[in-house]
Amino acid sequence: MGIIDLDGLEVRLANRTILNGLTGSLQGNAIGLLGPNGAGKSTLINTLLGFHPPSKGTARVFGLDSHRDRGQIRGRIGYMPENDSFIGNMSGVRFVRYMAELAGLPPGVALERAHEALFYVGLGEARYRKVSTYSLGMKQLIKLAQALAHGPRLLILDEPTNGLDPIARARMIELIKEIRKEGSIRLLISSHLLRDIDETCDEVLILKNGRIAALCNIEEERRSNRSFMELETVGATERFSVSIRGLGCECASYPGGRIKLILPEHIEARDLYVIASEQGVQIRRMNQRRDSLEDIFLRAMDNDTERTANGSLQAQL
Amino acid sequence: MAVYKHSYSAYTGKVTSSWTRLLVLARYAFDEAWSSKISIGLLVFSLLPCIVSLIGIYLANNPLARALVGGGGRQMIEIDAQFFLKILEVQCWLALVLASWIAPRVITFDLADSALPILLSHPISRLGYLLGKFMALLASLSAVTWIPCLLLFIYESYASPTPWIAGNLHIAAGLFAGSVIWIALLAFLGLALSSWVKWRVVATGIIFAAVFVPAGVGGIVTAVLRTRWGFLFNLPFMMSSLWPRLLGAPDTINPDRSLPTGAIAAMLVLACMVCIGMLNKRIRAREVVRG
Repeated sequence: MGIIDLDGLEVRLANRTILNGLTGSLQGNAIGLLGPNGAGKSTLINTLLGFHPPSKGTARVFGLDSHRDRGQIRGRIGYMPENDSFIGNMSGVRFVRYMAELAGLPPGVALERAHEALFYVGLGEARYRKVSTYSLGMKQLIKLAQALAHGPRLLILDEPTNGLDPIARARMIELIKEIRKEGSIRLLISSHLLRDIDETCDEVLILKNGRIAALCNIEEERRSNRSFMELETVGATERFSVSIRGLGCECASYPGGRIKLILPEHIEARDLYVIASEQGVQIRRMNQRRDSLEDIFLRAMDNDTERTANGSLQAQL
Repeated sequence: MAVYKHSYSAYTGKVTSSWTRLLVLARYAFDEAWSSKISIGLLVFSLLPCIVSLIGIYLANNPLARALVGGGGRQMIEIDAQFFLKILEVQCWLALVLASWIAPRVITFDLADSALPILLSHPISRLGYLLGKFMALLASLSAVTWIPCLLLFIYESYASPTPWIAGNLHIAAGLFAGSVIWIALLAFLGLALSSWVKWRVVATGIIFAAVFVPAGVGGIVTAVLRTRWGFLFNLPFMMSSLWPRLLGAPDTINPDRSLPTGAIAAMLVLACMVCIGMLNKRIRAREVVRG
């Protein structure tokens, strides 16, 4: 059983299907939720929080049904919404205390943890100011503080770096990494910024048009997608390609002496130079890169539309 | 978490029961309602008639005091259902003034900065949220309606030289029922209308308008169609008909214009249902945009 289990989840809102047959189990410590605008990321989060009932299938959080057991689930979740959501008339510490009390903490403990949460996110000095006077970055931080104060088991962050300047963004990412490192909280982070997910998550769920385009462990995916290489050669390109295949590389030749290949773990660029030298082939250009989250994301986007044509590794070549 | 370490740690202590969270909502809403000096001013103003009534009861029961203030020892006022009806009417209309000021304070702060997604992501339901706010309003309005009315009733029971309480218990029941019906209606109306308006001052005006504009419409209907049923839109008229019946005081309304108690009750229930419908539409963590 994962942290979040989806079984044929379908959500219809205003006679439109927003989430369509999502099935999968999310088990990572920090799960990234990626997708273009309108893919259904926020709807999925709202469904997990019990705001929207599934029209078909089920979504389970910690094994609890997202709609039927929403009260229990909400007690174990800390939620930081994407947009402004606070009570501007209250001071920072009063607001966080209020939220902690609503989550079930006794008043004294709630006050203590509100102070601690505000210091933890870096709002200690501003905790007695009214929330309405906070800057955009501070408002993001107080939303994080209220989500943390009651010690949730799952922290849902919807676009946590939205509208932040580079320094505030770096601080937010650092905080998320710290929380992840501490280990008692699982994270579900929704973003359309690949870099944020890349830096903080170990598993990613990519949505497109309300469907799962990819669900993968980022590290494993990186390991499985070995180095890509593009070569421009002059000389007996075909024979050179055959020799490279002999080394265990998957490769494809193109007109003009261009070769695309994937290097297995044990093969290095030096081995290619040795073969080229033996066969009198000149390597004019060599471009090598590792698979990034961006590649995983773009491949997932392609897979969804042309699953067979572009989805496989062979097709890339 | 620890302030000096600036590090995170999970909470492992006990959590409160789910019903206490309603009280948390009510407590914070109550604080918001009374954090304004105007609220306190209105409360003090609303209690002035009770002080005047208290003096009246004292004088009515004390011939010596009457002689001292120049009444010649004669009974100036009769302490009966009619007397308490006047107090109830005054207090209930003052409760409308207070409600129109504090009801928007109870709910609009949450809506102005879209706090509902965060509030409702905690283990409370929409119904629980509204119950908490409702309880805060009910408690606030009780302070100017049935609580002072019943205190005056108790004082009269104490001050009366003859046994008084046993024969007049129906007045106490009427005071309590009349007040609770009115403040419950005001609480529904205040919450429902405030939830649709972000600006508190506008919400205050709309609450007044919701009471008096339909009364005007009802008056027109009554005059044009020559029917008494137009008074069903007239909330002040309906309550002025209901309160004497609850207290057992003589009905001063012309029998031709009088409305049956069942019709009044049905209309009040209908008004509450409309308010609940408005709240159901508005108090949501997420709005679904159709189209």
